[in-house]
Order: sequence, then structure tokens, then C-alpha cells
Amino acid sequence: MEDDWLPPGFDAAKLTQAQRAFESALGADKVFFEGLDRGTYRDKFAVQEGTHLPAGAIGPTSVEEVQAALRVANQFRLPVWPISRGKNLGYGGSAPLVSGSVVMDLSAMKRIEFDEEFGTVLLEPGVGFYDLYDFIQANNLPYWLSTPGNSWGSVIGNALDRGVGYTPYGENTKQLCGLEVVLPTGEVVRTGMGAFSNAPTWGAYPFGFGPGWDQMFVQSNFGVVTKANMWLMPEPESLMGMDVEFDKPEDLKAMVDTIGPLRRERVLQQSPSIGNWLRAAAVATTRGEWTDKPGALDDAVIDAIRRRFGLGWWGVSLRLYGREEVNKAAYAVLERAMNAIGPMVMRPTTWVKGQPMEYSGWTGTPITFPMQNANWYGGRGGHIGFSPIIPQSGTAALAQFQRTYARYREYGMDYQGSFAFGERHLTNVNAMLFNQDDPAMMARIDPFFRQLVADAKAQGYGEYRTHLDYMNLVADSYDWGGGALGKLNQKVKDALDPNGILAPGKSGIWPKGVRP
Amino acid sequence: MKRLLIVALLLAGGAAVAQAPPAPKPTTLASRPGVTGGEALYIEHCASCHAPNGMGTGLLARRVQPPLLEARDNLPAAYVIAAARNGVGNMPAIPRGEVSDAELRQIAEYLAAGPHEVAR
Repeated sequence: MEDDWLPPGFDAAKLTQAQRAFESALGADKVFFEGLDRGTYRDKFAVQEGTHLPAGAIGPTSVEEVQAALRVANQFRLPVWPISRGKNLGYGGSAPLVSGSVVMDLSAMKRIEFDEEFGTVLLEPGVGFYDLYDFIQANNLPYWLSTPGNSWGSVIGNALDRGVGYTPYGENTKQLCGLEVVLPTGEVVRTGMGAFSNAPTWGAYPFGFGPGWDQMFVQSNFGVVTKANMWLMPEPESLMGMDVEFDKPEDLKAMVDTIGPLRRERVLQQSPSIGNWLRAAAVATTRGEWTDKPGALDDAVIDAIRRRFGLGWWGVSLRLYGREEVNKAAYAVLERAMNAIGPMVMRPTTWVKGQPMEYSGWTGTPITFPMQNANWYGGRGGHIGFSPIIPQSGTAALAQFQRTYARYREYGMDYQGSFAFGERHLTNVNAMLFNQDDPAMMARIDPFFRQLVADAKAQGYGEYRTHLDYMNLVADSYDWGGGALGKLNQKVKDALDPNGILAPGKSGIWPKGVRP
Repeated sequence: MKRLLIVALLLAGGAAVAQAPPAPKPTTLASRPGVTGGEALYIEHCASCHAPNGMGTGLLARRVQPPLLEARDNLPAAYVIAAARNGVGNMPAIPRGEVSDAELRQIAEYLAAGPHEVAR
């Protein structure tokens, strides 16, 4: 339909009235309602064309302008979808869940307040990883970031979506320490010590007094986060570790059961991620260089690709951070443990402050090249991720891999999987690479995804994060107590957002009366 | 250039290859002190993907030479603007809330005036 992008219950005239009200509140140069704007804010990795279409966008540049914009949204009962920078490609990017929502693009809010002594930083949502890296470089600050594989996006946006990096500070949402939030009805609150006027400890102590609310605003639609404190890792004296390859799919069990205890004991303080051969190869080559056969790749092709690039079936990088003396002792422990399970290749790496360093995720360097995997199939590429949380057990990981790999082959898709360590869990990230110009392939994605959700549900495994298309599906899978958590979320939503204007449907949380 | 890219890319996957030359340091404003105008805007908004080791550079290297936009002598400003606003291949479209029309025009004029010595 030509007007699928109109907000629910709106005609073009009413939308124009709302546009004028935004222009009055923010200035015309911060209101984007042309056809081109609707195109630029769509989901670049959309699985289904014609969904999640924005009506337009607004770009407030201050807390006061966010408040003013929300007043307009409440006046018109117009859904607003906030994004920090909109670069979480694979999860919806800059697109809203409900077509007709107005995207609130916070890209231009880019203030950085850095506490050099304590390594805390107060950030606005538009600050990207490259911006913060640049600030650190320009001011010669002794701190490292924790960057995701696509570092184009927002630092706090990533933490608010529970994104991860690969240093000891890699669980980014755990580094949040007090937020400033505009509630849907316009009030501004600060959490943690930010609730205490003039406290010098907003970025130092995350809890304040009484209930802690930071995680309430993570993956939620309860407020617009306009500032967040985060902790950064002091630059270590030394970095040591190894890149290790294993030859067989079955080696996954021993890898998990060897690395897991070292992680839980905190000999390993970073969170390693075991990835299969395609995770490495898909950024360096394309499928078309190897075969034109449809269906999942056969073992002969996989072997040829692995030989060309010297890859195991699985690879993992382990890193130690801190004092050199401590790292040397811990390295010996790691080396012994990994050698005991028969690696195909082990490549040590070592760095001491002052030497040339590796510019990778393990040093918190912002990177974008891993996104080249979107070109694996050619055409207009893309991917979405299926990422259940599973126990930190080799047996569980191997069974989950075998189930999932069989489904990839059944649906004729090439398997890119990884198992990322938390302290007590594994996140099993399965990338579904696709070519948006291949209609037959695109038609398989939705049933394939739903099958994987059902398979995981049967094991008691739920996703940690998902694309717009599957937020209801995943929310519904958290069903204990008759969906008690969802009901609580609903009550909070109705209390804080009586007009249901803020990001309806985010994480399966809908305003009263409009849940599909 | 191409060899460096491939090796750097393999490092991304959690699996490194032997004899890998190091990936280059990211290009940000701090690495080009004093730049202004279209060049500064290009570094701020485009270099994450279009500097050495970026996604855009890596994908362009598969089909055009040179892959670095600053090294190109064939990028009309109108083409740069159209590519940014509509997206090209795997490059997502860049919205006006992120890069304004005035900023994009300066970036496009900077690239149209290439090749630039800094990319050699």
C-alpha cells in the first residue's frame, strides 16, 4: 500500500499537522518527513519488504527538545521510536517496529564528559565508538573501549541493547552506572547517585538508595535515555594470549569445558567467543568463489575454504589483561589447559605497553570490517541473528550446535555460529546470512527462524536479543507463571506511558489495547 | 592493499592466520589534526567504513580499484550524494538526522576533488 507508512489512525492531513507541531517545537531543520527520509530510516537488513516503515523522523539535540517532542507525540497520540544512532543492523537498525512511527534520531546528541582520574564517562546517545575512541586518542587518555564487531553504532545504544565487546569490560550493559531518562510523559529522572543533587559519584556507584532502575530502561520502551555513565577499562600494562584453532565440530565440547572453568575462576577475565570457520571466512571471501550449488555447503567445499585460510572448524581467541607478571603466570595456565585438548594450531600473542599494538576488538579498537559477512551470498546482503542463552556446558553446547547445524542444512543455509562466554552462561549467536535479492532464500528465513526459536524453547533456551520481527515471539517464550513477567512489563508500560506513544511493541511490550 | 585487507578480516572472526601483518590503526580526526570542512566531515562520518580496514573499503576492493574513496578521481559530487542517501550494495542509506544536507554536500565536494594525497 502506498500509505502503509502513515501512523495508525492517521490520514495525511493529520500527519502534516503533527509534522508542523514538531517543526514548531524543534525547528524545521530537525524534522525529516520527505519520501527520501522515510527510505533512509528503513531497516537495511529487512527480512520482509514493506514492514517497519517510518512516517518520518525528528532529530532533537537536547534533553529539552526530547521533552518537547514527546509533548507533541502525546498531543497527537503519535508513536515515536527512539534510536541512538540506529546501527544495530540485524536487529532492525533505525526502523520502528510499528509502521507509521516517527523515528526519534538522537545521532546529533554527542556530548562526552570524561573523568580522566576514574575512567568514567558521561555520554549522550549519539556518541559512537569511533567518536569516543577519537576523544581518547586526541586527549591521550590511558583507557580502552569495549567494542562490538560493528562499531559504527552508539556506545550507550549498544549497552542499552545488551551488546558485547571482547575485553574484560565486554558485557557492556554491566558498565552502565546511572542514567538520565526522559519518561514518556516528559519528566526527566536520573538514576543511581544522579538522583542525589550535586553528587560527585554519579558515575562511580551504580545503585544509589532504594530500588535500582538502570536495567528497567535497557531493551525497554519505558523512557528515552539521554545520558548514561559508563566505566572504561584502564589501559593494561600487558596483553597476552593466544589464537587457537580446533579441527573437528566435536571439539566444541572440550573447548567449552576447558575455557568455562577458567572464565568462572576469572583466570580469564575477558569473554572469549568460539566461532566456526565461516565467521572468519565470510568476511574474507564470498560463496560464489567456491560453488554455485544451492543448499548448504558440503564438507568438500568447507574443507577447501578452511585449507585456503588455515582455519579450524572452530577458532577462539583468549586474552589476558593487566600486569605483565600476573599475565605471564596466567598464560602458562592457559597454555597448559589448551594444549591438553589437542588444538590444531595455537598462535601466541604478546604485547607490553609502548610496543605496537594489535588494532582489534581485543584491544577495544573500533572496527566495521566484520560486517563484510553481509556480502557472503552476494546481492543486497544482510543478516539477522538467532541468539539463545544456554548453559556453560560442553555437552549442552555441542547438542545445541548439532541441532542447529542440522536445521541450517535442512533449510539450505550456510551455518555461521558462535558461542560467546559470559561468566556463567554461553550466548549461542547464529547469524543467518542472506541475499535480499534472492526471493526464494528470503522466503525461507522466517520459517527457519521460527523453527530455531521452537527448538530452543523445547530445551528451555530463550533469546537475549532479537530483530523487530520476532520481539513478540521471543517475549511470549518467556512464559513462566502464565507470562507473569510480561504482565508486569505491561503494568509498568501503562503506568508510565498512558497514551502508548513510546516505541510500542519494543521487546514485546505494548500499550494498553493495541497488542496485535 | 588487498592482501592486508584479507588478513585483517580473518582476524575479525576470532581466528587469526599465521604471519598476519597488523591491522592499521583506525582513521579518526585525532589521526589528522587540523583538518577542516569536507575532509573533517568525511573522517567523522565516513571513515569508519571507508578508511583502510573498513567494511566499505573491503567490499569495494572486490570490484573497484582503488577502493579508498579519497584515492578516487571519478566520484562526482552528485553521485556521492545519491549513494549516501539511497545506499549502494551493502552500504546502508545515511539519514539526514545523522548527516545534514549541508554536511553531505561538503563531503561530496571533498571526494569530487580527489584523489587526495593523504590516501596515497
